Amino acid sequence: MATIDLTLKIWRQNSPRDKGRFETLAARGISTDMSFLEMLDVVNEQLTLDGREPICFDHDCREGICGMCGAVINGRPHGPQRGTTLCQLHMRHFADGDTLAIEPFRARAFKVVKDLVVDRSALDKVMVAGGYIAANTGSAPEANATPIAAATAELAMDAAACIGCGACVAACPNASAMLFVGAKVSHLGLLPQGRPEAARRVLAMVREADRQGFGNCTNVTECEVECPKEISIANIARMNREFLKAAIASRER
Amino acid sequence: MTKLDAKIPGGPIESKWERHRFDLKLVNPANKRKFNAIVVGTGLAGGSAAASLAELGYNVKAFCFQDTPRRAHSIAAQGGINAAKNYQNDGDSVWRLFYDTVKGGDFRAREANVHRLAELSVNIIDQCVAAGVPFAREYGGLLANRSFGGAQVSRTFYARGQTGQQLLLGCYSAMCRQIGTGKIKMFPRREMLDLVMVDGRARGIVVRNLISGEIERHTGDAVVLCTGGYGNVFFLSTNAMGCNVTAAWRCYKRGAYFANPCFTQIHPTCIPVHGTYQSKLTLMSESLRNDGRVWVPKNPGDKRAPGEIPESDRDYYLERRYPSFGNLVPRDVASRAAKAVCDEGRGVGDTGLAVYLDFADAIARDGRATIERKYGNLFAMYEKITDEDPYRQPMRIFPAVHYTMGGLWVDYNLMSNIDGLFVLGEANFSDHGANRLGASALMQGLADGYFVIPYTIGGYLAGTPLSPVSEDDAPFMDSARQVTERTQRLLSIKGHRTVDDFHRELGSILWDYCGMSRNNDGLAKAREMIRDLRAQYWQNVLVPGRGDDLNQSLERAGRVADFLEFAELMVEDALARQESCGGHFNEKFQTAEHEAMRDDENFCHVAAWEHTGDGSAPQRHTEPLAFEHVHLTQRSYK
Amino acid sequence: MSWLVGTFGTAIGKKLFMSVTGLCFCLFLVGHLAGNTLLLSGADAFNAYAAKLQSLGALLRIMEAGLIFFAVVHVGTGLYLFYQNLQARPVRYRVNASGGGQTLGSATMPYTGVLILAFLLFHLVQFTFVDKGDAGVYALVAAAFAQPFYVGLYILAMAVVGVHVSHGFWSAFQTLGMNHDKYFGLLRMGSVVFAVVLAAGFAFLPVFVGWVA
Ligand SMILES: Cc1cc2nc3c(=O)[nH]c(=O)nc-3n(C[C@H](O)[C@H](O)[C@H](O)COP(=O)(O)OP(=O)(O)OC[C@H]3O[C@@H](n4cnc5c(N)ncnc54)[C@H](O)[C@@H]3O)c2cc1C
Ligand code: FES
Repeated sequence: MATIDLTLKIWRQNSPRDKGRFETLAARGISTDMSFLEMLDVVNEQLTLDGREPICFDHDCREGICGMCGAVINGRPHGPQRGTTLCQLHMRHFADGDTLAIEPFRARAFKVVKDLVVDRSALDKVMVAGGYIAANTGSAPEANATPIAAATAELAMDAAACIGCGACVAACPNASAMLFVGAKVSHLGLLPQGRPEAARRVLAMVREADRQGFGNCTNVTECEVECPKEISIANIARMNREFLKAAIASRER
Repeated sequence: MTKLDAKIPGGPIESKWERHRFDLKLVNPANKRKFNAIVVGTGLAGGSAAASLAELGYNVKAFCFQDTPRRAHSIAAQGGINAAKNYQNDGDSVWRLFYDTVKGGDFRAREANVHRLAELSVNIIDQCVAAGVPFAREYGGLLANRSFGGAQVSRTFYARGQTGQQLLLGCYSAMCRQIGTGKIKMFPRREMLDLVMVDGRARGIVVRNLISGEIERHTGDAVVLCTGGYGNVFFLSTNAMGCNVTAAWRCYKRGAYFANPCFTQIHPTCIPVHGTYQSKLTLMSESLRNDGRVWVPKNPGDKRAPGEIPESDRDYYLERRYPSFGNLVPRDVASRAAKAVCDEGRGVGDTGLAVYLDFADAIARDGRATIERKYGNLFAMYEKITDEDPYRQPMRIFPAVHYTMGGLWVDYNLMSNIDGLFVLGEANFSDHGANRLGASALMQGLADGYFVIPYTIGGYLAGTPLSPVSEDDAPFMDSARQVTERTQRLLSIKGHRTVDDFHRELGSILWDYCGMSRNNDGLAKAREMIRDLRAQYWQNVLVPGRGDDLNQSLERAGRVADFLEFAELMVEDALARQESCGGHFNEKFQTAEHEAMRDDENFCHVAAWEHTGDGSAPQRHTEPLAFEHVHLTQRSYK
Repeated sequence: MSWLVGTFGTAIGKKLFMSVTGLCFCLFLVGHLAGNTLLLSGADAFNAYAAKLQSLGALLRIMEAGLIFFAVVHVGTGLYLFYQNLQARPVRYRVNASGGGQTLGSATMPYTGVLILAFLLFHLVQFTFVDKGDAGVYALVAAAFAQPFYVGLYILAMAVVGVHVSHGFWSAFQTLGMNHDKYFGLLRMGSVVFAVVLAAGFAFLPVFVGWVA
């Protein structure tokens, strides 16, 4: 089993009000089979035993699906490997002696709560604004009553794969959330079940994203390459299209 | 031993639910807004319950410990969800799903509940499609199915390898809509630490705000607990890191009965353990067994690379032992078989604790592209974790803790023995008996939340006189004080071992003595070890930081403290059940072919444990199970 | 909120202004380049073209006014977006790295934009809002490009325009929602080709004129 030694320059911040600072920590004897979060676990165990406060970081599933984990490693959200969340990033992608700068996702809409933990509730607010199909329990028609072309269902699934981690916002030079919003608008808008509310949905969600203080998309496409689920910017274009249609041609205001 | 009343309605099994719905009292639409329901947990069970109750007009307060409801552990489910739609015309029916589930559960589930589950399964798919779940489809646009988890019909609906995620997003978006209307008030990053009872009824909860550390009190007219399973008592499991028994355990300590805690499911296809630092195990979806073949070398100690082992030296042991089900035998059977070959020294990999899952034949038969389309994301995940390419060499897999059939005891209405405390999803014990079939947990969570609780909660609220309560009433203040004291106590021990260190030790005790196979000596030994460990914990645990801000060590410390108590009950339950059934395999009770041997004479019942005070032995109650429609037989998958 | 504000005040609405005006400028540049290629045919042809343009009278004024209006919208919105985008990330990263999504063009849009604005003002002062005398506009141009400094300056400026357009062109389509599996690769490549042709075309003219002179 190969092991490596690393130097971590890691962001420490006690509370949203605290100014925060970088702290340098050594991570010794890290097995290359560990995941990045397991590496942090090891560092945290040592910090605890040394009587210091461990590093706070969000995580839950550790399988790359819940979207809870995430940090910026050497300038890259979720680290250097494509299509991979931080919890699925393994230490074999680093070399002995590397120095890693570990920072929280940064955006005005994502306040730092503590260390690497940020508040991403702005994304929920965007969903509350319109990210749903209003179908009360019990009123659904027979599932096969409306056929959906396999290709359309796949396209919707491509968008629905979004785990809401916020890496798109973290990666975007403008801290824009348009990949997230685009994915949600596409997922629901592509399906026939989502069409009745499509116009209302896209207007409400785009406006809410603005209200939450995300930046504007300038099509830099960093989001697409950093997205752990490799969601395409075609979804942003689809949202733009829906938005124009809704704003100009629909009766929604 | 008292007998528990499950309140199963009379009449033919096919119409019990329909009649019961008619018999349940209704709450007048205008009155619904006067009731407050507390829903703890926002997984499939809690999310669907919260949204459905809010749609009916109840005021809902929903809680979860993650930063948003959409991250509940249900999101990780990969394989799919069952429903008796019979779209494939292959002989499925509500009756067959009912039959399979009762038999798969090794005859330790309630027939009436399981039948209701099978009936509701068809509505779930309709509801999910309407909510925008992008299930896989055929080219013609109709829904696709696959066979899954020990079923001989194709009844599983799926959305790539992310079915749980898509179903949860469906519930979550329905919740979002109700959050928007103000009918649901969402409280994320809250951990439930106590149930509050007033006049013998569940009337609220006490939670810790994980960001501010504040201990909050919340009142309600009913509490709906949907807090998932306790698999993490084993430390290593396929569950998300935050899964816990705390919420259920706190209810147990307030008087709710805990049923069948020893029924845990060990899933056969997981990535094997590879280091002591390991924090969790990763499931490789069971769907892989549709095309992968499981084998080990015929001879113990054969260390050749898999490619160098000729067919004649391979033992495809599942196909050999179970010719009719082959690689698709239920999970408990497959897991035990893997353990058996490893115990014989035929396990593979560095640790000898793994078996091969081989796709070479499937790739040769269907082509790499087909396999990639079916399992691409799983193969990629495997490669990410192990750095091995499963297209070129067989996967190595080993069983891992995955699901817990045990949970709080509930009656047919999903209400526990405490009035006003309902328990849904994996947190209850109800529908899977001693072993759960693949793709049935998602079905159960959604059936409970979408289609059962909206009726049964009404029946309770309409028929129960409830006095007004306030957060400042004594029971709430007392509970908050106790919770605060406990938190302070954990922080003040300042010992020398970390929480994880204790948790890891507890896990290995349980895995060794209360895991895939159990024996009476081992269980008795484990009970002592757990007691010792618990005593040490309260003297020597080291919890850094403070109680008044985000403190993840403190969160874990509370959960592990509860696991340490719960583990003993688990072992106790395993000891008391002197038979083998499903996931509970006591070595003393096996057939000549090493299959689980039930004792229907003495143990055809649910065991429900009552807390009788700290330090005193819990009391075991039973609910006898009657099998009128699926006849008790020795399960056979040969 | 009136629907107009709710449409054009949003992130997408503002980008709509950018894309529509930007595409108009692209069109203008194509026209401008086509006209300017007459420089290759010598003084008479070019002066005749200039005279023809002038003879359009009111129409030309309207077009000019339109261009100025578009420029104000494009620059104004662009600066506002730039400001908002800076605001959207008050605390910057210590390490900045790209995952490979950004291009020279996309990473520098606001800066190339401001440079182009400065160049444009200079260009207008130099060739448009100036007394062209009797010798005609060709002489003015020839005189300027006889000086290597101006040739160099124009080449540089055209490089900047090229960089700006290489992102702006496809980006405008993306903002308008025109993204299609089949044509997207073509569009992105086409965007670069278009930018190179424009920049090279414009840059060649001062070199040629200077060399002839
Ligand atoms: C890797 C994996 C794959 C699986 N695949 C399948 C599959 O293909 N098909 C299938 O049918 N089943 C599958 N299962 C099982 C299934 O996913 C779960 O049984 C099911 O999702 C449980 O849902 P739930 O709603 O009961 O609980 P969960 O989804 O676990 O949700 C629990 C909720 O309770 C909250 N909570 C917990 N404790 C507290 C507390 N103390 N205070 C406040 N809130 C709390 C959490 O925040 C969360 O919101 C799989 C399980 C795993 C581990
Ligand atoms: S912890 Fe769930 S995605 Fe990383």
